Amino acid sequence: MASTAATRTAAGAARVVKPIFSRDLDEAKRRVRELYRAFYREVPNTVAMFQLDITTRQGRSKVRELFDKNKHVTDPRVIDMLVIKGKMDLQEMIHVWKQKTHVMRYFHESEDPRPADFLSKFYKGHDP
Amino acid sequence: MAGERLRILYSKILASLQTMPKDAAYRKYTEQLISERFGHVKAEPDVEKLEKKINGGQIEEVIFQAECELALSRKMSEWKPWEPLVEEPPPNQWKWPI
Amino acid sequence: MLRLRLPAQHPPHQQGATDRHVLSEEEPGRTADMAATFMRMVRVGVGRSLSSSRSSFPLRQQVGRQSSSSETRPTVRAKDPVTHNQLAAFGEYVAEMMPKYVQQVQVTCFNELEVMIHPDGVIPVLTFLRDHTNGQFRNMVDLTAVDIPTRQNRFEIVYNLLSLRYNSRVRVKTYTDELTPLDSAVSVHVAANWYEREVWDMFGVFFANHPDLRRILTDYGFEGHPFRKDFPLSGYVEVRYDDELKRVVAEPVELAQEFRKFDLNTPWEVFPAYREPKEPAPKLEAGDLAPDKK
Repeated sequence: MASTAATRTAAGAARVVKPIFSRDLDEAKRRVRELYRAFYREVPNTVAMFQLDITTRQGRSKVRELFDKNKHVTDPRVIDMLVIKGKMDLQEMIHVWKQKTHVMRYFHESEDPRPADFLSKFYKGHDP
Repeated sequence: MAGERLRILYSKILASLQTMPKDAAYRKYTEQLISERFGHVKAEPDVEKLEKKINGGQIEEVIFQAECELALSRKMSEWKPWEPLVEEPPPNQWKWPI
Repeated sequence: MLRLRLPAQHPPHQQGATDRHVLSEEEPGRTADMAATFMRMVRVGVGRSLSSSRSSFPLRQQVGRQSSSSETRPTVRAKDPVTHNQLAAFGEYVAEMMPKYVQQVQVTCFNELEVMIHPDGVIPVLTFLRDHTNGQFRNMVDLTAVDIPTRQNRFEIVYNLLSLRYNSRVRVKTYTDELTPLDSAVSVHVAANWYEREVWDMFGVFFANHPDLRRILTDYGFEGHPFRKDFPLSGYVEVRYDDELKRVVAEPVELAQEFRKFDLNTPWEVFPAYREPKEPAPKLEAGDLAPDKK
């Protein structure tokens, strides 16, 4: 979503757009920090509530990683959209609407790293 | 009783319409509609005959419609929908098939 | 999805006009498969009733003659000019009342009134249609969206309203894109609540001031909006039960090569009248095939 939106805004840079919540980048960043703080405080509760096999420190570093994944975004509207989705995520976690499997999906435990070089591809077998 | 209620509501609606510009289509048509009903209410004391004349359902429904219209007319003077179009649609927005 | 039922091209002279106008459209006529089947059924029915009673019963004979006379143009839908004119008149009435928001009004060949509005006017127009004595569209029957990625505003939001008082329906349409919030209609129609959640979930259109906007159909942790045209048919993840971890895990979807080629054309010929045979359908994803025409 971020990429298409970025191209769209680049195309019509002069166009006046309706803001979602934030009028400028600083306000959007403030919202991101608020969300990050909320997540940071929620991590110990989540670990206890879902009986996860991870430490609080691991959980927090995962939160940080997820936030860092979108740090290249500079459009306030895209940031707002991501914050909205993050808030919904947090809500689902606080109310325990999610289950253990959904929370643990962030950690990609069962996935093997993709074969990169020739030999490991060869060992892996079928795929051309 | 019902006539009294309607009379109050209709005069409130008409008063609220007075605040709009004279050439607003909403004011023109609503004034026409409401004053027609208002005339029926003034002329006809019997509820059943009044219902037939207004032809808008039972008298309770007519009262409800008047309440809605009053709320709408107050909101309308806030929105000012008689102004010119806010923004033209982008080209080919309503073209179908694309 | 709704738009599929619309008639063919608008008359060309009405295209590109900047002012609002009421379009009245002609029936495509030739391709109404459903109408054809319907007529076939009628014919069979009449034939049976004729053969069962051969007595000279005037009404029956008249029925038979009528059906035979209508067979000369069997697939043409009967016109209903009265309803059509009523709807067109009401459309003009709405457009005259709210020139600030109404961009275009049209009546389709199936006698459905469509009011195209600017996204700012969602609440005013819906409230007007609900509360005005000559409308009383108090029921929201449906709210949905259509994704047309080639447009500048790719999402079209469609509101279907019903007036029980006048036994009439109206369709209100507006537009938005991925990042522009639209005013929530919940303050006007409470029924819009779950519909807007659905549109948010499936298309990712954000509704401002919605009391409880969250996912409704997809699984927790699901990413993306499945009804967008650029969402892959196979999705992004597949789930399975992992016996080591003792829980369901989600992994990126992996398809063998032979399942990866999708033929997106349906085997049935739907609405050939809407096909423009000259140019191919717009490629939605960055296709691996170079466009051979052009």
